[in-house]
Amino acid sequence: MKKRYVYWLMLPGLLFLTLFMLLPIIHTIGSTFFQEGQFTFEGYLHFLRDRYYVDILLTTMQVSLVTTMACIVVGFPVAYHISMLSPRKKGFLLALAIFPLLTSSVVRSFSWIIILGKNGLLNSWLVGLGLIDQPLEILYTPTAVMIGLIHLFLPLLIISLVGVMENIDPDLVKAAESLGSSRFTVFRKVIFPLSIPGLILGSILIFVGSMTAYTTPTVLGGKKRVIATFLYQNAITLNDWNSASVIATIMIVITLLVIGLMTKMSHKFRVKG
Amino acid sequence: MIRKKMINSALSITFAALALAGCGTANQANTGTPTASAPSSSTASSEPTELVVSTWGNDDFTAKEVIAPFEKKFNVKVVFEIGNNADRLNKVQQKTSNVDVLFLSDYFTQQAIDADLIEKIDRAYIPNLDQLYDIAKAPLGADYGPAFTINQLGIAYNPKLVKTEITSWKDLWNPELAKKLTMPGITTTTGPMLLDAASLVSGSSTFNEDQAFAKLKELNPSVVKYYGKTSDFVTMFAQGEIAAGPFMQGFLKDLLAGVPDAKFVTPEEGGYAVMNTVNVVKGSKNKELAEELINWYLSKEIQEKLAKAKINSPTNKEVKLTEEEAEGLTYGADMISKLRYLDVKYVNENLKKWTDRWNREIAQ
Repeated sequence: MKKRYVYWLMLPGLLFLTLFMLLPIIHTIGSTFFQEGQFTFEGYLHFLRDRYYVDILLTTMQVSLVTTMACIVVGFPVAYHISMLSPRKKGFLLALAIFPLLTSSVVRSFSWIIILGKNGLLNSWLVGLGLIDQPLEILYTPTAVMIGLIHLFLPLLIISLVGVMENIDPDLVKAAESLGSSRFTVFRKVIFPLSIPGLILGSILIFVGSMTAYTTPTVLGGKKRVIATFLYQNAITLNDWNSASVIATIMIVITLLVIGLMTKMSHKFRVKG
Repeated sequence: MIRKKMINSALSITFAALALAGCGTANQANTGTPTASAPSSSTASSEPTELVVSTWGNDDFTAKEVIAPFEKKFNVKVVFEIGNNADRLNKVQQKTSNVDVLFLSDYFTQQAIDADLIEKIDRAYIPNLDQLYDIAKAPLGADYGPAFTINQLGIAYNPKLVKTEITSWKDLWNPELAKKLTMPGITTTTGPMLLDAASLVSGSSTFNEDQAFAKLKELNPSVVKYYGKTSDFVTMFAQGEIAAGPFMQGFLKDLLAGVPDAKFVTPEEGGYAVMNTVNVVKGSKNKELAEELINWYLSKEIQEKLAKAKINSPTNKEVKLTEEEAEGLTYGADMISKLRYLDVKYVNENLKKWTDRWNREIAQ
């Protein structure tokens, strides 16, 4: 009896999600299979047969992949360090790590313009120190987009990793050490495998987030297009909602595939504790 | 322990969702929903009629000097719906609001006309039309609204970074501008004008699509970024990322704020006219009032006020400005008669094709 009552509490949330998320998504996906009342795959075939569209898709996935990797490389040591601290210090450093999430992505992107630009901070330092003669061309390239995205998504990885790492039993580390493992072996055999659930969760969030990011590529990106800006062009400026829906559906499918793949990987790595 | 883990994951997902939501909506923020206007506790004898006006922005000057007197004279309450051309056109198209008067650039107005969203106007009720320059009277045909302001696409540059004087559209191809140039994207209002300019520079007397694309492709390595919004141009210009590019005269004051030496030139082949038109939306219950508002906007008095405040260049030829007042404006029979004007209908019919070509051949 009591349990049933609790389920009713989910109703408002479920109703909201069904009405404003599930149904529109179903509608969007459904509409891509019909052209002039006929059931067809033409929308997808048209997209996938076209080298230019596929290239945009590949560029986007490449940017997302590099962003995810870079976040892992940079974020893992930070997360590990934070997870070892006393609760007070941990709270403080976590708050610092989350801080970038609290600023608008537009503001964040604009600050990167100031740093990465031709006359930006980075270039004026490098030129001033005599390390380079000509300013580096970073702004308005995919590199700038990746830098912006890493800045944007790094906190997600840190949060999800810290959450998992602080639950690693310190006795396991001690046990490994007492049995003669070097610190590196402890990391490789104990800490890393136990962190994988957090790593997977964080990676999914970053990969999907990078793939669908719109503001950062618009502000920091140059002539090369990513899928989100391409979708925007189709929907808003060309009013071609059908193509836009096709692209959206393809993005949803890729997202689901990535989540599925990563979850599978995490099962593979799962260590029985 | 498992439980704690779950809570942690849930927390991080929540954070993630917040972050993602943050980047998605940043672009659409502050396009208020004025349809929910607060009921004014007016005790006047008759309730004012509500007139919904969809426009780019509502500055204090316009609100006070243009709208307030209109509201008073006709017992109207003007409600604004604010946003860029594309967003507002979309809103009208999705019928999510009951807009009466629609301000759009000519090019988006044509899209609205093609989508059957625009009511035919009755010119007899808009007597001020007679005072307009010919180009502004009926840019999209006699059935549709006039241009209440005119703007000119020319070239802006920073003379400190560009040594040779710029006088012609040809000068964009000057090697000195390499890596200092920005160009409008094809889907912006001015994008198709550059296509026409490129065709002109290629030596063709009539518009030649292939030559235009070839010419723009030639220019591509020089371009730092294709801009989507005028504000992007202003930012890049102020930061020194670019030193020149096609620019609309009406926004010169924004450029000067960042780079006081900035120069605007009308190329010798002629600048391109960019006109903003005003129309009545199909199905409006307040057509007469809407036409009154259009007439109001065209009147010599209002046009002069807006010109002196440097908000809009006048299309009413009765407006007389001193040289100082006219500075930075697209003003005067002389300047206006030299403007080149693209056939908006032709542009709209070809835009999809051009965008596709432009994506594939140029912006790589």
